Amino acid sequence: MMKLRMGTGVIVISTALLFLCLPFCSSSVPNDPFFGIAPQDEKYYKSSDVIRCKDGSGKFTRAQLNDDFCDCPDGTDEPGTSACPGGKFYCHNAGHVPTSLFSSRVNDGICDCCDGTDEYDGKVTCSNTCWEAGKVARDKLKKKIATYQDGVKLRKDEIEKAKSALDKDKAELLKLKKEESTLKEIVQQLKEHKEEIEKEEEKERLRKEKEEKEKKEAEEKANEEKSAATGEEARHTNEAGKHSDAKDYAAGETKYEQSDVGDSYDGATDSPSSEGSLLNEVEESVKGAEGEHAAKSETDLRVEEKKSSEEIINTGNDASENTEGLSKEELGQLVASRWTGQKGGKQSGEAEDAKKTEEQEDLTSESNNEEYEGYASETDDDSNRYDGEDETEDDFREEEMILMSSDVVATDNPSWLTKIQRTVRKLFKAVNFFETPLNQTDAARVRKEYDELSSKLSKLQSRVSSLTQKLKHDFGPESEFYSFYDRCFESKQNKYTYKVCPYDQASQEEGYSTTRLGRWDKFEDSYKVMAFSNGDRCWNGPDRSMKVRMRCGLKNEITDVDEPSRCEYVALLSTPALCKEEKLKELQHKLDSLNSQQPEKHDEL
Amino acid sequence: MKNKTQTLPLFFFLLFFNHVYSWKKEEFRTCHQTPFCKRARSRTSSTSTPLVATDVTISDGNLIAKLVAKSKQEETQQNTNPLLLSLSVYQNGVVRVTIDEDHSLNPPKSRFHVPDVVVSEFQSTKLWLQRVTQETLDGDDSPSSVVYVSDGFDAVLRHDPFEVFVRDKSNGNTRVVSMNSHGLFDFEQLKVKGEGDDWGESFRSHHDKRPYGPQSISFDVTFHGADFVYGIPEHATSLALKPTKGPGVEESEPYRLFNLDVFEYIHDSPFGLYGSVPFMLSHGKQRGSSGFFWLNAAEMQIDVLGSGWDAENGISKLPKNRVDTLWMSEAGVVDAFFFVGPTPKDVLKQYTSVTGMPAMPQLFSTAYHQCRWNYRDEEDVEHVDSKFDEFDIPYDVLWLDIEHTDGKKYFTWDNVLFPNPEEMQRKIAAKGRHMVTIVDPHIKRDNSFPLHKEATEKGYYVKDSSGNDYDGWCWPGSSSYLDMLSPEIRSWWGDKFSYQNYVGSTPSLYIWNDMNEPSVFNGPEVTMPRDALHIGGVEHREVHNAYGYYFHMATSEGLVKRGDGKDRPFVLSRALFAGTQRYGAIWTGDNTAEWDHLRVSVPMVLTLGLAGVSFSGADVGGFFGNPEPELLVRWYQLGAFYPFFRAHAHHDTKRREPWLFGERNTELIRDAIHVRYALLPYYYTLFREANTTGVPVMRPLWMEFPSEEATFSNDEAFMIGNSLLVQGIYTERAKQTSVYLPGKESWYDFRTGNVYKGEATHKLAVTEESIPVFMRAGTIITRKDRFRRSSTQMTNDPYTLVIALNSSQAAEGELYLDDGSSFNFLQGAYIHRRFIFKDGKLTSLDLAPASNGNARYPVNTVIERIILLGHASGSKNALVEPSNQKVDVELAPFWVQRKNSPAVMTIRKPNVRVTDDWTIKIL
Repeated sequence: MMKLRMGTGVIVISTALLFLCLPFCSSSVPNDPFFGIAPQDEKYYKSSDVIRCKDGSGKFTRAQLNDDFCDCPDGTDEPGTSACPGGKFYCHNAGHVPTSLFSSRVNDGICDCCDGTDEYDGKVTCSNTCWEAGKVARDKLKKKIATYQDGVKLRKDEIEKAKSALDKDKAELLKLKKEESTLKEIVQQLKEHKEEIEKEEEKERLRKEKEEKEKKEAEEKANEEKSAATGEEARHTNEAGKHSDAKDYAAGETKYEQSDVGDSYDGATDSPSSEGSLLNEVEESVKGAEGEHAAKSETDLRVEEKKSSEEIINTGNDASENTEGLSKEELGQLVASRWTGQKGGKQSGEAEDAKKTEEQEDLTSESNNEEYEGYASETDDDSNRYDGEDETEDDFREEEMILMSSDVVATDNPSWLTKIQRTVRKLFKAVNFFETPLNQTDAARVRKEYDELSSKLSKLQSRVSSLTQKLKHDFGPESEFYSFYDRCFESKQNKYTYKVCPYDQASQEEGYSTTRLGRWDKFEDSYKVMAFSNGDRCWNGPDRSMKVRMRCGLKNEITDVDEPSRCEYVALLSTPALCKEEKLKELQHKLDSLNSQQPEKHDEL
Repeated sequence: MKNKTQTLPLFFFLLFFNHVYSWKKEEFRTCHQTPFCKRARSRTSSTSTPLVATDVTISDGNLIAKLVAKSKQEETQQNTNPLLLSLSVYQNGVVRVTIDEDHSLNPPKSRFHVPDVVVSEFQSTKLWLQRVTQETLDGDDSPSSVVYVSDGFDAVLRHDPFEVFVRDKSNGNTRVVSMNSHGLFDFEQLKVKGEGDDWGESFRSHHDKRPYGPQSISFDVTFHGADFVYGIPEHATSLALKPTKGPGVEESEPYRLFNLDVFEYIHDSPFGLYGSVPFMLSHGKQRGSSGFFWLNAAEMQIDVLGSGWDAENGISKLPKNRVDTLWMSEAGVVDAFFFVGPTPKDVLKQYTSVTGMPAMPQLFSTAYHQCRWNYRDEEDVEHVDSKFDEFDIPYDVLWLDIEHTDGKKYFTWDNVLFPNPEEMQRKIAAKGRHMVTIVDPHIKRDNSFPLHKEATEKGYYVKDSSGNDYDGWCWPGSSSYLDMLSPEIRSWWGDKFSYQNYVGSTPSLYIWNDMNEPSVFNGPEVTMPRDALHIGGVEHREVHNAYGYYFHMATSEGLVKRGDGKDRPFVLSRALFAGTQRYGAIWTGDNTAEWDHLRVSVPMVLTLGLAGVSFSGADVGGFFGNPEPELLVRWYQLGAFYPFFRAHAHHDTKRREPWLFGERNTELIRDAIHVRYALLPYYYTLFREANTTGVPVMRPLWMEFPSEEATFSNDEAFMIGNSLLVQGIYTERAKQTSVYLPGKESWYDFRTGNVYKGEATHKLAVTEESIPVFMRAGTIITRKDRFRRSSTQMTNDPYTLVIALNSSQAAEGELYLDDGSSFNFLQGAYIHRRFIFKDGKLTSLDLAPASNGNARYPVNTVIERIILLGHASGSKNALVEPSNQKVDVELAPFWVQRKNSPAVMTIRKPNVRVTDDWTIKIL
């Protein structure tokens, strides 16, 4: 009450006294020596006659306070004038929020405080607009609080949901991993049997051939053996690859099957330890080879780069010399494009094309990945993604079975896996490996069973991998962003559609052309911003990137997509995930303090 | 997949390639590819046709002569006619020599004389010659004609061999500036095209018909008693011009003067850039300065010849300590001006007496400008504007580049991005700020565009060689170019800036002329074909270098008309020519965010100033590329001292407004901008000095210290006025630098007040806070130490006087102020004070002549603080007279806005009015 009254008093007195200012004195000295001081600081100024500069650089007398001459570089002595560039001026703004202005605003002819106290030298008259402005601000704040109140509830629900979903994911992963290792064992056994059979078959075949063919032909056969050995190497490589990189699995398996034909692998069937060491060896040698290969491919790349750079220089020269071949218009566009970077003449056109090709390929491979990884989301309803692929139907059903079973697992229930185990055991019993010649039906059964189960295994492994990937993501301190996974938010602005897919990518679509604005990077600014980086490269510019600032809202909604710097995008996402309880309390507190000032304001009015 | 790995490196390489090697050297002609230059450059005095002067008379106050081939045989062989020479003399030591074909002999075409460059006032300074004296020079067989110039200078026409020079009588009749001392004069006369004559020239895909054949002119000019030559902007090169030819000189291209839009120009090259001022001045310890100006707007190439270059000819009877130069032009006439000096400031005064004084700028335009290609829409404009307030950084002008228009049609607005341009400008203007929009000379060939329609109907476009409207390519695509050579078209153009015609413009809006070389994307060397036709059948080749100048002139005069002659124009132009200083500011075009470009900006801006174009600067931060924060900060610290202080950036670059690089860098940039705002009163005083004397705001050290040889080739440091010496920091993470401080008097560090000895090189530690700046002992400058949103709100703020005392405890300085925007100062509505500190007493004297018209500029502004650097006494009080007030003297911060600023002796609150006469005595 006191403070506010004093503030109003100041306006009246200073306005009245302005006219008394002598020609000698500068007209911008306020008449209240304590003008422009924040209430919490008044004690500091009133406690003694000699006041210290707050930065400790010196001191000044009461007479020097607000005398329109800067004695403290930090502005301590001139809270009410513009004399110190580093100073701050406090406006009470009764009825609204008090503000602290740069001293550069004092008596600059522009009304900054809604109470008009910053302009007192008589050059302009500022009306007091605090009441109106305050009302607008309070109403806005009330609305915001209402949003927050609903939002906080939504957020809580989301967090609950996210927690149980996460637990489920984790349980599933655990289960899947177990199943994976069991299935792996079975497949391994099948494989051994299959190889045994094939060995026998091969022996049988050789025997027959030996009988039937000449010595010369036998020599040829020796050669075949040699080539079979190479095939074996390949097989190992693939196996190693399978272990190290689940993603290559599918490709690896195809090759594996191919190399199976004519496989004469005959060692290590009986000794798992020796097999293990052999595998290690193989793995190591593969690693070495890979390293070598990598190194080589790097040099290759460099050679290519050099070559292509030479090509470019040539093209560059060509392009500039070939300007003769260009029409006037093309030449104009070409030269203009140097500044604008827009597609114009030949040269930039090529660059653009190169980019496009890259883009397309990138997108294609990505969508492949998506489909592949999308396996994880098979539980959702977009199974149709698999349409058109071989054996989709069967695979899908099997897969469904696997997933369903793993969803409903109860440890004592005989699972699908136990069934399989039983089937395989029966099969092994049925097949007589020492029967010569081999029973063709049995051999075929083993093969078929092997093929089916190893394909099952690969699917299981990919599911494990994608689930592991998912759980690696940062879903926020309270997992409040869990529901963003596998979701996209869209916003249409003019001709563009912006698509923000958290944990994946952000893109801009125009008709059929898609530009990637960034790949998922991370949360920033304590989970207030989602950053997407390394998007498509801009011509003559940086890689595109996007920052999505989030704020509390009741729906997940993208708005205000903007490109403040070329190829650096920003957007706003309203989401309940940002409706934090602490913030709500803060806002309520703010409103309370605003409201508590109102009656006083009314009194004064 | 394989494809991908191949295209990827290729693609990245392409980007890299594009970025680094983008200067398309091969698209521009070398001297060797330019027949007239190749011919002239290979000519020696033995292969030139020697000329002699005959029939010397006085006519209309001029000395008239004929130049004929020495042997009649040559004359008939070459089928040449006598040339007419006219020599006239003007006040203050200016000699003009014109040489043209004899019109009475009916040459096929009259050669082009560049109009509207020499100011009309110049004619009134002509000294009417009454008589000519004949005198035989040492060793000559025939006499020479001598006329008196002024102050002990003669102009001499030596008849045989033909030579023109100015000599200094007080110095044993030694030559000052001479033409054809080496006998390289050559004048290709116009001929009638004969059967089988093929005069056409091709360059790349362009063909130049050259219907009038060879018509070039070349001659040698010698600056005597000179150590270095300077000037002839615009090139990105050193201040002291390096020799381009001669023994021990790595032969380079000559300095080329041909206005061109050069994409990503390199930082050290004699290559021609956006503007051309064929004015050179020399300086030497022995003799001082002299100058030479060739008023000719065709392509020019100038060789600076290394000493001993002519040894093979054995004609070097001339004394050493001279600089020889070779001037070559494709067309036009000889219209040459000799300036006698002898000080650098004298030469500037003489040169600007011919081409005009630099215009007095709008006060706001001397403050900080914020530009970017492009502030995209009204929201962006509002945002950037509010950010300056949020960070308490002053700025005065926000700029809109080409994207603000509707399809690159100038005078229009993109109605999606800028639906309410007037309201936008009003909001900016409410904070005392201004806006600038771009208006380029290419007009979109779009029949729905009224400007194009009208220009077409009126026949106002430049024509191609067949007489049709020339159709070139620029930002809008197919475009035509207004023929700015015509005063009628210029006037019509000027009217387009009226508030009615330029819809959406308000009084706070000013103009930017870009691309006025002119830039033509599909033209030869990215400009207009030389055989394009201007009004009166003038070929573009003859007028090329002045095209942008006429455009700038038309725009500037349009803005004067817009404001009913009451508001000074502000027009920034990229192209320039002699005389540009009368019409507005110049910037050095599309530079790059590299340290070398920061470095070369200093000689570039200094050179522009030496050519009269005082109001100039480089894009702070560098136009192309992204500056590291350190480079950006250093650029602000240096750029704050450019006479024209604007930050600008290409649209592919990252945003770089001052607050985007973290708190510390924001603070450093704010401080750099604050320094400029504090110095605005000093700058404005210097702009007025330029406006009355031609002496530039930013000066080479040797302009202030003409006898200090150590300064002659220094272009890392420069002077602002006669008081401040600024040394740029041009390297990354610099820890220390060397600064040479000229003169016998000492210098005060402008940040700390510490004293440094003169005539010495100082090794200084470099801090991130600022670049080294020193205040010269014996000078006084005025500052305004309060900061506002813009210069507009500073009008009534009080002054700080900084007095740097010399060894005899004395100092002097000036303050000029007026309303900052109108022409009332021409009627005397200004305040001009001289402050003198002597014998412990500071006196303020009125410098405005009493008879300066009736107008007054009334202000109540006071001086709130007087800082005394180097004062001996520890006095506590001072007495203000005549009010007889006692005021305190204390130790107070040198810069109140800086933390930990050292304390210096300060007279506290003298609060004397700047308009009054007073004295303040230290007690």
